[in-house]
Amino acid sequence: MPEKYDVIVVGAGNGGLVAAATTAKAGLKTLLIEKHNLPGGSATSFRRGRFEFEPSLHEMAGYGSSEDPGDLRELFDSLGVNLELVAIKDAYRIIDTSNGLDVTMPAGRDNYIAKMEETVPGSKESMLKYFELTDDCIRALDYLTLMKGNPDLGVLMGEHAHFMKLANATLQEVLDLIEMPKLAQQVLTNYWSYLGSPTEMCDFFIYAIMLDRYLRYHAYIPKDRSHEMSLAIEKVIRDGGGDIWYNCPVTRILIEDGVAKGVATEFGEVYADQIISNVIPHKIFGVMADSAAVPEAELKRANARTIGCSAFCVYIGLNKSPEELGITDYSVFISDSDDSNKQFEQMGSLEDNNFMVMNCLNNGNPGCSPEGTSMLWVTQLYNGDSWCDIKPEDYKKVKNDIAKKTIKIYEETLGIKISDCIEEISVATPVTFARYLGTPKGTIYGYQNQMWDTMLARTMNRVPEETIKGLIFCGGHSFMIHGYSSTYKSGSRAGSQAVAALAAMRGEQL
Amino acid sequence: MSDMANLESLNPMGLLMITPTRMDKIEAAPNTPLASTDPITELKNALHPLVQYLIIERIIDHVDDARSYVLVPDVAKGTESLAYFSAGQYLSISLAIDGATVSKPYSISSAPVGALKGAYTITVKRSDGGFASCYILDNWKEGDSVVASGPEGLFTYEGIRDAKQVIGLAGGSGITPFLSLARAVVSGTEDFCLTLLYGSRTSAGILFKDEFDALEAACAKIKVVHILSDEEAEGYEQGFITAELIKKYAPAEDYSLFICGPQAMYNFLDAEIEKLDLPHKFIRHELFGEVKNPEKNADYPADALGYEYKLVVNIRDEKVETRCAASETLMVAMERAKVPVPTQCRSGECGFCHSYLISGDVYMPASADGRRLADSRYGYIHPCSTFPLSDVELEVPSK
Repeated sequence: MPEKYDVIVVGAGNGGLVAAATTAKAGLKTLLIEKHNLPGGSATSFRRGRFEFEPSLHEMAGYGSSEDPGDLRELFDSLGVNLELVAIKDAYRIIDTSNGLDVTMPAGRDNYIAKMEETVPGSKESMLKYFELTDDCIRALDYLTLMKGNPDLGVLMGEHAHFMKLANATLQEVLDLIEMPKLAQQVLTNYWSYLGSPTEMCDFFIYAIMLDRYLRYHAYIPKDRSHEMSLAIEKVIRDGGGDIWYNCPVTRILIEDGVAKGVATEFGEVYADQIISNVIPHKIFGVMADSAAVPEAELKRANARTIGCSAFCVYIGLNKSPEELGITDYSVFISDSDDSNKQFEQMGSLEDNNFMVMNCLNNGNPGCSPEGTSMLWVTQLYNGDSWCDIKPEDYKKVKNDIAKKTIKIYEETLGIKISDCIEEISVATPVTFARYLGTPKGTIYGYQNQMWDTMLARTMNRVPEETIKGLIFCGGHSFMIHGYSSTYKSGSRAGSQAVAALAAMRGEQL
Repeated sequence: MSDMANLESLNPMGLLMITPTRMDKIEAAPNTPLASTDPITELKNALHPLVQYLIIERIIDHVDDARSYVLVPDVAKGTESLAYFSAGQYLSISLAIDGATVSKPYSISSAPVGALKGAYTITVKRSDGGFASCYILDNWKEGDSVVASGPEGLFTYEGIRDAKQVIGLAGGSGITPFLSLARAVVSGTEDFCLTLLYGSRTSAGILFKDEFDALEAACAKIKVVHILSDEEAEGYEQGFITAELIKKYAPAEDYSLFICGPQAMYNFLDAEIEKLDLPHKFIRHELFGEVKNPEKNADYPADALGYEYKLVVNIRDEKVETRCAASETLMVAMERAKVPVPTQCRSGECGFCHSYLISGDVYMPASADGRRLADSRYGYIHPCSTFPLSDVELEVPSK
């Protein structure tokens, strides 16, 4: 076994990759250990015949153009991640078969408000209020970031009075208070599934920030699927002299007297001053740490939390082009209910879950599949629990029946026939995500975003809740909540924290 | 500024409520140990075990120097039941040959229901020419232990994609997945009609003749046509599987072609199938198998053959140095040098051996280049289908 590392990063998901890139680039001796044979976790790709499918990234927020860069582009630039991403033109199309709603919402705030007024006459005033409150949240977030989490209460109460109120309010509460018409609420909250929490469970703050990031900066996707992003970040680690061990499951986190010392793999133990975990606390404290070394606070916190939802995806390669088939959208959200809270409930049922997103990758990323073909991709959210009573021998039939149902919903809703030109198909379920992500119940979102466990709640308590010295968490389960740009940023923060901790340690030692 | 009076009902100190609420919530939760698993993870483990420890319960001799091995769970080693599979899938079997661990894919020939009853059957044929097959035939005995992967592979019937009518084209040991597919149809696990065009040399050398006769008799959805290359006999087609022959047995409606056989058969059939002008979606190939004779590809550099190169392999913090001939894959050289590299399909397709090329020039036949789009730009290769064109340094995943 080698000499000690400065930093060991466990897990090469988005958070782990950026964390390792950050520490390696800072000159720290870094080891990234991943149990799978590929980097990225969710950010990967897979091939079937003539097609290479994107498994998880619908729309990346906060990237922006080179003229108006978002924080994610700035992060990639600062790491030297060299990538060409493509902007998605429209925000989304939303169709509700229960009330006949069918509208394509553009990106850009003014366009968005205008389209909403056209769709829901009389909505404009409430939309202006909504974005005014959004701006209050953005200003407050900028201030909190500037103050590195130690804001002055006087400044908050004086200059950020709206934010002080909004911080603990649900999305539903605020939309009702500003008297937004119900139909406009439905259109506006369409992205709830990206956060996995419906309007009564989601905080206004995170939704407002997220929607603004999509509308202002557009959504972006990589040209060669998210595997390309993972390799581009991985290259930064290699260029910084970092080591990467694939196919090497970490079996234990070594903790002594409340201090993380290293990790154990089946090939032996490796030590470091800082351990960054891209692995969910549930697994660290439930399986990988010696039970005697697990602080009670971690058990209570993990037990208090709810494991986030998983997903069901159908990846389809078609032997006709989008033009031939009449597919014009990049993403269309289809539901049979106008209530996200009801849709959230249906995630617990294999029978009643009729909410889905259909993406046509070619309409965001032309040329992503051979000429005369196209790639479609269905996503539904499910609670992992809804899949737990299936017998192994029935599994294939269950997943194919649901796949057929989603294809039928799409065909009937859009009037587009695709079932006779399916050249390749692959179906992923919570079991698939459990297999490739190794998460409890196959969650793709870490922990449920809920009012006591929001991004704000996690961020404000991040430092006081650290129980093991030298153990830092990043990823969708950590303080920034899930989603591509959030997990990348959480990795950046974790990496920077490790750099600072090592500088402090060595300063003391000197 | 528009009127925000209606925010009045919100607590002006809302932000300060967040942490106390969170602390209360956490304080109220139990301090019980966290569950180490959950039902979805258990279902995942049942469907996709990383490893299955098996015992050879029975060996069945067949014609043409082939044998079937009935494999049952090795409970003592921790495998309590067998993973269910889709007909057409394979097991990657680990073999310790002369101290080196080699993994080779073998299609399961038994029906999926058999796995529920606790047995898989794989069939091995000496005429494959593979040293692993010869090793198995010469060494495996009843009662021996076998280490296998979970069921893998995509040579399966998918009703959403495939036509209801399937024409199977089989040659050599390529018959084994079709036996499983036919059995799955007969036992009601799969629902499609299978017409199998099955090439053998002589009528006496037809592997699984009796089994297919019985399946044909048991179920109207199964039809088997035997084609003999080296013998003319009543009731058999003579020659090779050609476009004409496929047309003769093809139904009037849409049909899918499922093809499994040795490399030579694929090479011949690809040209024949092209004459049928079928859409891509109706042509399903099983893996091509170990890539050999790179020089047979038109784009292979003419003067590259005959050299032997230095191969340096980095695995975690260890370094191994060995030699690799231009005519062999990096995987074969690593296995000979006893470097434990993961591999499953050995055809360039599955990406299980996804490795980082630190330096050197390599050749990959386009037909066996199953890499992802970004891989080549970032220096990744699949060593199981890659040949050296210079000294090479690689970083490989652990096994």
